[in-house]
Amino acid sequence: MQYGLLVMGAPYSTVSPHSALRFAHAIIARGHCLAGVFFYHDGVHNASSLMAPPQDELNMCQAWVELHQQHEVALDVCIAAALRRGLMSESEAQRHGKQAFNVAPPFELTGLGQLLELQQRSDRFITFA
Amino acid sequence: MAQSDTLLVVIRHAPHSTNLLREGLDAALVAAAFGQSVHLLFMGQGILALLEEQGSGAPGQKATLPTIEMLEMYDIDQLMVPTKDLHAMHLSHHQLIEGVTLLAPEDVPTLLQQHTQILTF
Amino acid sequence: MILHILTKAPYSSVAQQMQQAIGEADAVLLVEEGVTAALSPSWTAWKAYHSRIYILAEDLLARGLNGIAEANELPVIGMDEFVTLTEKYAQTVTWY
Repeated sequence: MQYGLLVMGAPYSTVSPHSALRFAHAIIARGHCLAGVFFYHDGVHNASSLMAPPQDELNMCQAWVELHQQHEVALDVCIAAALRRGLMSESEAQRHGKQAFNVAPPFELTGLGQLLELQQRSDRFITFA
Repeated sequence: MAQSDTLLVVIRHAPHSTNLLREGLDAALVAAAFGQSVHLLFMGQGILALLEEQGSGAPGQKATLPTIEMLEMYDIDQLMVPTKDLHAMHLSHHQLIEGVTLLAPEDVPTLLQQHTQILTF
Repeated sequence: MILHILTKAPYSSVAQQMQQAIGEADAVLLVEEGVTAALSPSWTAWKAYHSRIYILAEDLLARGLNGIAEANELPVIGMDEFVTLTEKYAQTVTWY
C-alpha cells in the first residue's frame, strides 16, 4: 500500500515527529511504500538543517534525510508555514533578503496543494501532531 | 450525499490561541481553490471561530472573521457544529455567523464516515 | 471504517470530542499521552469500544505503564499491529 504522512509538531517541543518517524520505519519494514511526508504548522521545524541537539539526542532533521536517502521518501515542507517561522531555502533567503538559509534538499519548500495531492494519491494517510 | 471527493476539515482550535485554526482554514481554502469540494466541522474551542462579534487580537494577531466570511466565495458553504459542543461552550446558535448547520450527536460519526479525506486542525 | 488515534489524556476535551465522533465500525488507538488511560480502567471508553480499542506498547513502556496496563488487562499492541490496524481501517483521524 502507498502511505502518506502529515507531521505538524516541532521536534524537541512535541513527541509527534518521533512517533511519525517510528511509524514510517514500521510501515516500510512491512513492505509498504511511503510516498511522502508533508510538514505543516510547527512541523516545518523538522526541516531546519541548523538544529543542533546535544550529541545523545537524535538529530531529527538528519533522521528525515536518512529516511529519504534509504527509501526515497519525498520530504515536502509548506512554504507559507515555513517562511513565517524562519525556515528558508537558499533561493527564498535571497528573495527575502535574508543572510542565512536552513532548508536544503531533500527537503522541498512547496505549496499546500502538495499536501492535498499526497493525501489523494495515498491509500493511507496519517497525521502526527 | 456522496462525499467521496469531498475534503472534511475539522477545526478544533480557537482563534487567538495557536496558529492551527488559521493554517487549517488555509488548507480548506487551497483545496477549494484547486476545485475540491470542502466541508468544515467546528468542534469544541473551534466553534469560537464562528462567533459574530470576534475581532483582531494582540498586536499582529489578525482577525479570523474575514477568512470565515471569505469561505463562501470559495464555495465552502457547509459549516457544521455539533449541538452538544455548542451547548458545552454555553453558546447559542444566534451568537454564531449565519449559515451554520447544527449536528445532532448521531450525525457526527456519520459525517466522518461519509468523507474519505479528512484533515484535523 | 475509521481508526481514531488519540494522543492526549483520556479526560481531556479532545478525548471527549473523539468519543463523539466514533462510529460503530470504528476503532481507537491510544498513543503518546493517550496511553495514560492505562491508569484509568474505569474510563468509559474501555467498555464502550470493547474489542476495538488498543493501547500502544512502545509508548506504555517508555512511560513505565506497561505493568499497570497488563494488571488491568488492557489490550496492548505493538508497532507492528499499529501498522496492521492502518491496513484494516482505510481512514485515520488523529485527535491531538
